Amino acid sequence: MNYQFQWGVLWSGQSGSWLLQGVLTTLGISALAWILAAALGILSGALRTVPWRPLRAAAVFYVEFFRNVPLLVWMFFWYFGVPPLLPRPVQDWLFNHGAEFWAGMFALGVYHGARMSEVIRSGIQSIPRTQFEASMAMGLTTFQAYRLVIVPIALRLIVPPATNESLNLLKNSSVALTISVAELTFQTRQIETYTAKAIEALTAGTLIYLVLCVSIAAVMAWVERRFRIPGLIARGG
Amino acid sequence: MSETVIEFKAVDKWFGKLHVLRAVDLAVSVGEVVVVCGPSGSGKSTLIRCVNGLEAIQGGELVVLGESITRPGVRMPALRTRVGMVFQSFNLFPHMTVLQNITLAPVRVKGLSAAEAEKTARALLERVRIPDKAAAYPANLSGGQQQRVAIARALAMQPRIMLFDEPTSALDPEMINEVLDVMTDLAKDGMTMMVVTHEMGFARRVAHRVVFMDGGSIVEEAAPEAFFAAAQSDRAREFLSKILTH
Amino acid sequence: MKRLLSMLVAVALLAAAVPVFAETTLEKIARTGTLTIGTRRGSPPFGFVNKSNEWVGFSIDLVEQAIKPVIEKKLGKPIRVEKKESTPATRIPLLTSNAVDLVAETTTDTRPRRESVDFSLTFFVTGAQFLVKKGSPIHGIQNIAGKRIATQQGSTNARILRERVPGAQLREFPDQPAAFQALAQGQVDAYTNDGIQLAGLKAKAPNPADWEIVGDFYSYEPYGMAMRKNDSDFRQVVNVGLMEAIESGKYAELYEKWFGAKGEVPYPLTPENKRFLQMQVVPK
Repeated sequence: MNYQFQWGVLWSGQSGSWLLQGVLTTLGISALAWILAAALGILSGALRTVPWRPLRAAAVFYVEFFRNVPLLVWMFFWYFGVPPLLPRPVQDWLFNHGAEFWAGMFALGVYHGARMSEVIRSGIQSIPRTQFEASMAMGLTTFQAYRLVIVPIALRLIVPPATNESLNLLKNSSVALTISVAELTFQTRQIETYTAKAIEALTAGTLIYLVLCVSIAAVMAWVERRFRIPGLIARGG
Repeated sequence: MSETVIEFKAVDKWFGKLHVLRAVDLAVSVGEVVVVCGPSGSGKSTLIRCVNGLEAIQGGELVVLGESITRPGVRMPALRTRVGMVFQSFNLFPHMTVLQNITLAPVRVKGLSAAEAEKTARALLERVRIPDKAAAYPANLSGGQQQRVAIARALAMQPRIMLFDEPTSALDPEMINEVLDVMTDLAKDGMTMMVVTHEMGFARRVAHRVVFMDGGSIVEEAAPEAFFAAAQSDRAREFLSKILTH
Repeated sequence: MKRLLSMLVAVALLAAAVPVFAETTLEKIARTGTLTIGTRRGSPPFGFVNKSNEWVGFSIDLVEQAIKPVIEKKLGKPIRVEKKESTPATRIPLLTSNAVDLVAETTTDTRPRRESVDFSLTFFVTGAQFLVKKGSPIHGIQNIAGKRIATQQGSTNARILRERVPGAQLREFPDQPAAFQALAQGQVDAYTNDGIQLAGLKAKAPNPADWEIVGDFYSYEPYGMAMRKNDSDFRQVVNVGLMEAIESGKYAELYEKWFGAKGEVPYPLTPENKRFLQMQVVPK
């Protein structure tokens, strides 16, 4: 009952092109979801600190509602729950044009936006309140103060935890296989189905995720150095 | 009689249950330099923070540059472009260079072109005597230099009134004078100024009037010579004895 | 980076070295007193959770009533059968990692799979068809081009469709309930799986009459029980158990229980399938 390793299955047949497609899909869904998550995270994270209660309450609701329900449930929600609200022809059009991908992207983006929101809120709250007052005192509106001063400072402070969240997002994109998105994990399983070589396929998937994560961490480390606030001690260097 | 630019009329201010300004009446004329002093917790910082609406008031009326800022619907950002403020903790934006700090509001609020704003900014840096620091980041400046940039930043909006909230309290002693000198120049040029400070030398030399506050009320206001020579109230005398002999 | 690389190499070597601990499956069962099987919770009637919340099914009955007695006789002591959930994606790793000893669910015996695991005799024969809403324009593999077809991840059907009808839009779901949900809501136009699985799904649907199973078998799906490779003593007892059941009528009795007119999923045994099963039984 020795397991016979056959690493050749990874480059024989279609395995290579499947893995490549899987990587591209994973990167595509993660990149779009990341943009959505960053936008929602910045918006709701900022709203949680504004001096107006109804906006704060709305942001708190968004964060608590979305981050406290498992991602898998959100995948099903966006794929099975949302389309029936649309007219039938629209549904059919969507189902013929990659509804799975978009549902997965929204699930991932909205869920991680709620988590990103907490990171950004903590970044904003670590900025002395007097920075906000100084912005207001020179005639900026609240919106301008956030856009030009508060958020840019906060974003520079939160690169390390945001890196962490970004890596989580990338890895969580594999949950989209439950709604038929052919991303990297899906493709490694597919290779396993065709070749019955589980360990080889899993190892390939693991290594690719590792490379992707290390690359993202490297890019984020560069961003951190490039945009660090002078005078604050840079990490890594 | 010259034009009144700031007028407190029976202004009341609470922080929750704490009554921090009690029926304050005060008028400041154009070109006047008013030093506000008093023990900590006397409400002096709160007083000047009301002038540009950083603190809302709960009673009375406050008229700034002919506009009642307690009236509903008043556009505070527009008012604030005409009232500059300098803080104890400088509050330069750490992610921007000195030049960017100074040009931010002129470009974003007044709609000046970047070139115009930069020209003004460089002139102001000249005026606060650090023309060579335009490209530096705040963290690379000394406290005194940072505070002078903060003054230049406020002046860039060409305000009619300047508020100073303990501008030298966070500075090392050797840097205090470089900031006070800039403020003195400004006063000589005829700027209307309200200055919260413990620098009694500055008050004596530059102020037209000294306002002494305690417990949320204005206890005494007088010309500096009169105030320092013969304060009327016991509280003011006690305060002066502490601050001048320490 | 260099350190990372050497760490990875170490992990890979370790993984390669694990199977050194060589214990045959029968030795393991003798030591633990337990036969651990991997089976399904949602594939009626092979393995599923019934209305009284019991985990039952045809595959499970075959293990408990046909194979277990033979193992007990061979070992000379009673054993228990323990069930673990397995899915198309996990069943082979479950076996190779020793988490289960026998996969008894709905695994199609294929040549590539035989390179990783060993299979018992074929205990059930079916083929892939389509489940559609009544009145659907889909009547079989001939008219699925351009249509959205749900398949189950890890099944052989997707592979066949991809080769034979490249124009079909495949949507692959990890389990039957998700695939059926997608069919019910219109995300897909048809769900393809082994005919018997579709029959089970239809029988358990809220309104079975709304659904139709269409098309000729476009694949041959002989179900076998999977075991770790190169353990012929264990495979022998599993096969003997199945042969004795076919011979004695036990198999027919269980088939009737699950697939008979009153069974969970009515699916009569065709004469040629019956003959095929009997032909697998080698002489005593």
